Formats: sequence, structure tokens, C-alpha cells
Amino acid sequence: MILDRLGKELLFFDGGMGTLLQAGGLKPGELPETWNMTHPEKITGIHRKYIEAGSDIILTNTFGANALKFHDDSCSLCDIVTSAVGHVKRAAEQAELNGRQVYTALDIGPTGKLLKPMGDLEFEEAYEAFREVVRYGAEAGADLIHIETMSDTYELKAAVLAAKENTDLPVFVTTIFDERGKLLTGADVPAVVALLEGLRVDALGINCGLGPGQMLPILEQILEYTSLPVIVKPNAGLPKQVERETVYDVLPQDFAMTMQKIIGQGAAVAGGCCGTTPEHIKSMVDLCRGMEPLPIIQKDITIVSSYGKSVCLGTGSKIIGERINPTGKKKFRQALKEHDMDYILREGIMQQDMGAHILDVNVGLPDIDEASMMQDVLVELQSVTSLPLQIDTVDTKAMEAALRIYNGKAMVNSVSGKQESMDAVFPLIQKYGGVVIGLTLDESGIPDTAEGRVEIARHIIEEAAKYGIQKKDIVIDVLAMTISSDPEGAKVTLEALKKVRYGLGVNTVLGVSNISFGLPSRTVINANFYTMAMQNGLSAGIINPSSEEMMKSYYAYHALMNLDSNCEAYIAKYAGQAAESSASPAVSGDMPLNRAIEKGLKEEAHHITGLLVKEQAPLDIINTYLIPALDNVGKGFEKGTVFLPQLLMSAEAAKAAFTILKESLAATGQQDEKKEKVVLATVKGDIHDIGKNIVKVLLENYGFDVIDLGKDVAPGLVVEKVLAEDVHLVGLSALMTTTVVSMEETIQQLRQKAPGCRVMVGGAVLNQEYADMIGADFYGKDAMQSVYYAQKLLQNK
Amino acid sequence: MDHMTKEAIRYLGYGKHAVDDKTFALVEDSFRDLEDAAGRKSIYRIFDLQQTADDRFTIGTVEMQSRNLGRYLGGCCRIILFGATLGTAVDRMLARLSITDMAKAVVMQSCAAAMLEEYCDECQAEIAGRVSEEGLFLRPRFSPGYGDFDIRYQAPLMQMLDCAKTIGLTMTDSYMMTPTKSVTAVIGASRTEEKCHIKGCEACEKKDCTYRRDKV
Repeated sequence: MILDRLGKELLFFDGGMGTLLQAGGLKPGELPETWNMTHPEKITGIHRKYIEAGSDIILTNTFGANALKFHDDSCSLCDIVTSAVGHVKRAAEQAELNGRQVYTALDIGPTGKLLKPMGDLEFEEAYEAFREVVRYGAEAGADLIHIETMSDTYELKAAVLAAKENTDLPVFVTTIFDERGKLLTGADVPAVVALLEGLRVDALGINCGLGPGQMLPILEQILEYTSLPVIVKPNAGLPKQVERETVYDVLPQDFAMTMQKIIGQGAAVAGGCCGTTPEHIKSMVDLCRGMEPLPIIQKDITIVSSYGKSVCLGTGSKIIGERINPTGKKKFRQALKEHDMDYILREGIMQQDMGAHILDVNVGLPDIDEASMMQDVLVELQSVTSLPLQIDTVDTKAMEAALRIYNGKAMVNSVSGKQESMDAVFPLIQKYGGVVIGLTLDESGIPDTAEGRVEIARHIIEEAAKYGIQKKDIVIDVLAMTISSDPEGAKVTLEALKKVRYGLGVNTVLGVSNISFGLPSRTVINANFYTMAMQNGLSAGIINPSSEEMMKSYYAYHALMNLDSNCEAYIAKYAGQAAESSASPAVSGDMPLNRAIEKGLKEEAHHITGLLVKEQAPLDIINTYLIPALDNVGKGFEKGTVFLPQLLMSAEAAKAAFTILKESLAATGQQDEKKEKVVLATVKGDIHDIGKNIVKVLLENYGFDVIDLGKDVAPGLVVEKVLAEDVHLVGLSALMTTTVVSMEETIQQLRQKAPGCRVMVGGAVLNQEYADMIGADFYGKDAMQSVYYAQKLLQNK
Repeated sequence: MDHMTKEAIRYLGYGKHAVDDKTFALVEDSFRDLEDAAGRKSIYRIFDLQQTADDRFTIGTVEMQSRNLGRYLGGCCRIILFGATLGTAVDRMLARLSITDMAKAVVMQSCAAAMLEEYCDECQAEIAGRVSEEGLFLRPRFSPGYGDFDIRYQAPLMQMLDCAKTIGLTMTDSYMMTPTKSVTAVIGASRTEEKCHIKGCEACEKKDCTYRRDKV
């Protein structure tokens, strides 16, 4: 077994395949994998050369062999993969007769597609593509799976899950980092390490993209974070175009010398990628074979990550934003019920802007499908924020669904000391990875004493260890109990906090605001308790980052404890404030509201409306100021004196005014006017949604209730929504000729199933003629035209 | 005002009108944000060009057909495949702004497009420098989807560039590029310097376009 040798002795991979195939006659545009069938002797020959050069692990010629990338009707994927494994085995026969062990690594490269939400590939589709290859490879007798050249953590996760769930083979993974130590999709080194260790791969590292010398600093970073054996497979330098050839110019001897340094630094498995040849590998093996790999050091760093960012707990205190949670929030509950993603996303973005490091996500409501809602919210949040997320649920089905779909290593809220809870949650953490919050309560409740809570924490840590979950992946919540009913509550919590953090040596977290439940002016208590908690070892506070008092405590504590170097963060946050408050305020309030809206002054409009609403009825304000202002701007846009950015700034200003008016209406128990519904969607296959979003903002301004189905929307979904909500107008957007067919299909389905519904269309590729051809009722050449059409149709204007 | 800023304002539909102060401030702000977010990457490869008919030619093993492109490539002996992207971070920033500030989203979108063009021009200048050593001159870029050069050629073009792996540029089933702020193009190279008959915007048939550069 290769795992018996991994990390204990140096192992060598082979080198480049593509360059050799091209030298052997592979043409540009030809799929290298087909050569497994058409030129088996050449493939076996290359493998044999690498084995003779000293490679212990040989990659099968299957880099692009997955259903999403490999399109060739002349041979099946199964045949390609099976023959590829066979070629390595055959090439290894002679060496194995001589007593050398050669391992066949099933090579898995990326699909060449970008996953949702940034691309159009579903996570589970990517998983399926990898699963197919992995199963063929395992059946054909591969000894291990090597996933390489990955530049997207999400695709990486799909590949690793496919390998782990469908085979028992060891899984090695390498990714492409650029010179800044980032993947193409943005992840840094600790984020990648955290993800892969969480998924329990056997070895990880770096390949392709860089030459050996440039990999040294990246390797150094990897070694700082990982507790696994590290693989390094550089290119023979950076590619250069010379005449019509791509060339790599690091010579075998030079390659070998840098690889010697790389191994000396701590790599346990070495090989080559693009441009490296059997000569490179031979030089390296000859020079390095006698070296011993450095012992692997277990790292004790708690890391949570997203696709693009890692957050380490343990230094200073981190902020976990608590706002994405329906508890006690009527509006949020309503947003969940109506699937109003924008509302939820705004809560997330706002918390990031206010300084949160991690966002807690709780979408539990009695009458919704929590698992599917949790998945939707996580995916959407990850398209607008790079902050790591904390999956907050008591429903283990939702927890698993969330852990599977999450891009990164999530924080999980929570497990408790109850056996039932640990039995349910730990297997999920074991499988998907994650940093899990352990609540210090068990079958007998919450202990009154600090010692009692520490005892439960200890028990949680021990039980987790049975699943191979290390202490660094547990964060303990010693629970803050309100001092209004338990006078000793804060003292016990602080004492327990200290004991857990410094006695047990694990990171800690607290839902800080519980402490003041039932008291007036809660932020006074919360902010002071927050400081005390940080002082006693709070690694992360679950707080509301838009509370100024809490943030003051945060910045002050870090400045005072020398956790904010040169008070930089503190100064950046507060230096401007004194000056600002003494200078004349940016918002004067002496401008008429309609003028503020026409000028697109959002803050001003918000402020003035706040003043006006004290004297006038909301509906009067709308009729006197808002509607005339919007009409003016709209007309200006038509005449070509007002331009799109200005139109939208006015729309945003009007929106700010409407928010106040809506609140005022709600406060006095009045009903908002009943609004006409409009469904908007960017059609199936189309991912450009800016045009649709512009129309949405304007329609909302003119009093329509917009049901936004987003982008890449299947025709059936549009029909379903129209029928379910009894909608009489649909707006469809498409950018290119390739997606107008989906637009036509959507219109046809609507005609059949919802004949009363009108359809307006727009988008770069469309014009009146085209719109007529696909049977649309209206072509909106710009966003205002759609508004006018909707008004005429639904508001009789 | 620099060229990139001018182009961004043109994309916003201002034509010959002066830009207002608030929009201009958003433009400047957007370029600053883009400077942080954009992960500019590009790749090119040079191939021999075999033109078999006025509208047919072969690159590697891939045969292509296009009358417009055939005309454009007249007299070229090499063809350069080119791909460039601003990366996924820009798309995420746009998605985020679409929720919080639509006016800025629209401005950012135009600025990103202008930045991408500028970057492509820089890349092309660099390639021109390289091939001039071999006595070759470049034509302007020509992208799939332009004229009768079928958008579906995007697929083999991207495969030959291997640009998913090299620069993270992929495409959807509908031939849309992801990240969205990306370009693929072919660039003809000839032994003689010719004043080219195709000059992007000005050469387009659609004379009444809002975004036209030489609009009066």
C-alpha cells in the first residue's frame, strides 16, 4: 500500500505527458485521451520511460477524461479510462519483476467548466462526472486517485467527494496556485489546506502554473498550515511562445537542483508537470533518491474558509455576524417565506461592510423546507460575499445538505454534549470537514458551575476524537445566561470561558447578547460583557456587527491588548469621525424631496422623507413628490438628457424614500396599496442579468411587486410561478442569439399554460423584428419602455 | 480624461454628451475597486494559417468557415489565438452591487468592459512586439460572434488555448464566457503591414447604435 510509504520515504511522480504527446504527433485540438485507444504503444512507451527514470507513481493518460470535457463519439469514456489504467500496469510489468513497486494513479483533471453560481455547472453535475471516471478507474485497478491542476475549490470538493464516496482508494490532490499564492478563483493557501484536510484527503500540494523556483514560497505557506504529506509538481519553468511552439526552458539539471531544495524544505512527494520530461525526472531522482522526507508536524490552527478566504481563530477575537436569523424578526421571517433572497443577501453584505469575519446562517422556520432553503441561501450568499459561513441549524438533514453544497470549510452551529447530538453531528464533520461549535449542555441541562461546563466541553472533545475530529476543529460555547434571572450568570460564563480557552486549550465562541435578556438598554450590558468575554479568552463573538456599541468594544479591546498593530484598525475606523461630526452635515434637509430624487441623492431623500412623514400622510408624499420626480427623470431619460446611471441613482433615492413611507404605513396599521405582480427572469442558458436587474429596480419604483426568478431560469419554472402567483405580466431577458431559443421556448410554454399572461422581452440581441418572430407581446428597447408597458397593461396608465 | 474612462462613459450611453459629476465620481470609484478586484490573465498561441478558400481555413486540426473572417485574414500567414479575462472576483462584485446599488452596478459593468479592452490592447501590443522579431505584423482582434464568425467556434478556440486551465476562462453550454468579463479572439499576422479594413466599432454596419464611438 502506498499509504504505508507515504510521508515516511520520498516518493516520485512522473512528469509531463502533453509535451511528449505533441512531440509524438498529437495535433492541436486533438484530444490526448483518444491516444489510449489509437496509439497504445506510444502511451505505454512514455509511461515506461518515466518508470525507468525512477518514478514510483505513474499518472494514467486521463487528465481530460470526463463526460463534461471529453467529447468523442469514436470511443467510450469507460474504454478510455480502462485502457489508460492498463497501459500503466503494462508499462510497470518489467520494473515489478525487478522488485520495484510502481503505483498507478488515476489522473483526474478539471471539467473545464465553471460551477454555479459564477458559471453554469451544477455542483452535483460536476460530482457525477467525476464519479463516473473514478468508478471506471477503480474497477480497472488503479492504486490511487490523483486529482490535479484544480483552480476552483468548489470543483475540487466535488471531485474529492466523488473519489471518497465511490472508492476506498487513497486520494492525492494538487492545485494550481499563482505567484501570489492564490487559486484562479481566489482561494488562498490556508483556505485550500483547510478544505482538503476537512475532506480527509491523504496528501495535498501544488502542481502546474509555476516553475520549481516559484513554488518554493508557496510550499513554505502550505507547510505552515498542513499536517499532511505535501506533493510538489512544478512545470519546467514558465511557458514561453517561441515561433509557433510553447516551450519550457528549465533544464533537467537545474530542475533537479531546485527540487532538491523543495524536498529539503519539506515536500514528501515530488514530480513534474508541463514541459518536464523523463530526463527531468531522472535528474531529480538521481540527485534526491537518498534524501529522507522531513517529519510531518501536526499543526494546531483552527481554520474556517470560503471559496476565497480563510479565517483563523485563536489570535484576537473574531466577529460572527448574527443577523441572518429569523428569531424575533418579522421581516426576516416574511423574506424567508417569500423566498426574498435579496433581503437576506443584503443582511449578509451589510454585516460584512460593518466588519464581520464570519456570517452565521440560520433559516429555520416551522413551515419551510429548511434543507433546501439552507442550500439556496448558502449558494446565493457565496455569490456575493467571500466571508466564511456558519451553518446554524438543529436539523441534521439541513446540516448535511448545507455541508455538502458549501464551498469551503464551514463553521457549524452546533453540537451539544448530548449523546444523541454528537452521534448525529460528528459523522457529518468527519465526512465533510468543518469547525463545529460544542455547546456545554447535556442530558442533564446546563451546569450551574464553570467546572460543570468545562467537564462537558472535555467530553465533547473526547467524543469527537473517536471520529478523528481534532481539537482544533472544535470551538466551545460555554453559554451566556441572562443575568436578569441568574445573577451569577455572567461570572460563571466568564470563568468557564477562561478555563476552556486556557485550560483545555480550545477556541471559544459565545452568543453574547443573551446576557442582557429582559433588561433595558441591552447594548450597555452587551458591549461591556463582550469586552470582558474577550479579555477572558473569547475567540469569536456571535454579535450584531451593526451595533455601534459592540463594535466600539471590539476595536477598543484589540487596540488595548496590542492585537491591532499600531492601532491601525482603530484609527481607520474612528479617526474620521470627530472631524465629520463637527463639520457641516452632508445631509441638510432643506431641499425639496422631488429635487433630491431627481438629483439621485439617496441619503438626502431618506432624511427629508423622515422629516416630511411627521407632517404629511405617506400617500400624499408619494403623490406630491415621488411620482412627479420619477416621471420627470423618466421623461428626461427618454429625451436623452438623463442617462442610465442617473436614472438608477434617482431610482435608488426614491427607494430610500419608499422604505420610510412603508415603515410609516406599517406603524399606523395601514395597508400598502395592493401591488400588481410581474415575474422577471433571465432565460435558461443565459447568465447575464444586469439588464433584468435594471428593469427590476425601476418596476419596483413604480409600484410593482417584482418576483425575480434570477438568471438561467428554465421555461417550466417561469410557467409554474406565473400560475402559482396568478401573474399577468412576465419580463424575459436574453443577451445572445444562443439563448433567444430559450426565450422562445418560454413564451410558447406560457402561451399554452397561461394564455392570459403577457410577455415583454429585452436584451442586447433583441429588436422589434426578433421579438415579433419569437411571439413576444412587447419589445422594450430600454428599461423605461418596460415600465411604461407594465403601467399601461396593469395600472391602466 | 484617459481613454479607458472615455470608453466606460461611452458604454454608459452618453454619446457626445458630457458626463454628470455624480456618474463621473462613480466611474472613478469603480475603476479603483476594479483595480483591487481584477485578476487580469491572458494567454495566446501562434499557429500556421492554412486558408483553403476565401471563407475557409484550418488551424491545427480545426476547420473554420466564415466569410468575414476570411476577408479579414486575407494575406495572413499566421493566426494567433488569444484569450483574456478579468477573473471571477469582478463578477462577484457586480452581483453584490446589483443588490445594494444598481446605479453603481451599471457603471462598474461599463468600467469593467473598458478595463478589459484596455488590457487586451496591452496584451496585443506585447504580442505585436514579439512577432515583429519574426517580421510579422498584427491585424486587429476578431472575436467569435462578430459578423458571420459563428459564436460556436468559441469551443475549439478555447480548447486549443486550454484556457480553462491556464487562465480560468470557461464557457457555458450557451457559449457564454465565464467569468463574464472575458474575451476570446483571433489575431491575423502577415508579412506586410496593411492598413486594415476592419476597425471594430467604426466598421460596424449598425450606424444608429447608441454606443457608437464616432456618433455625431
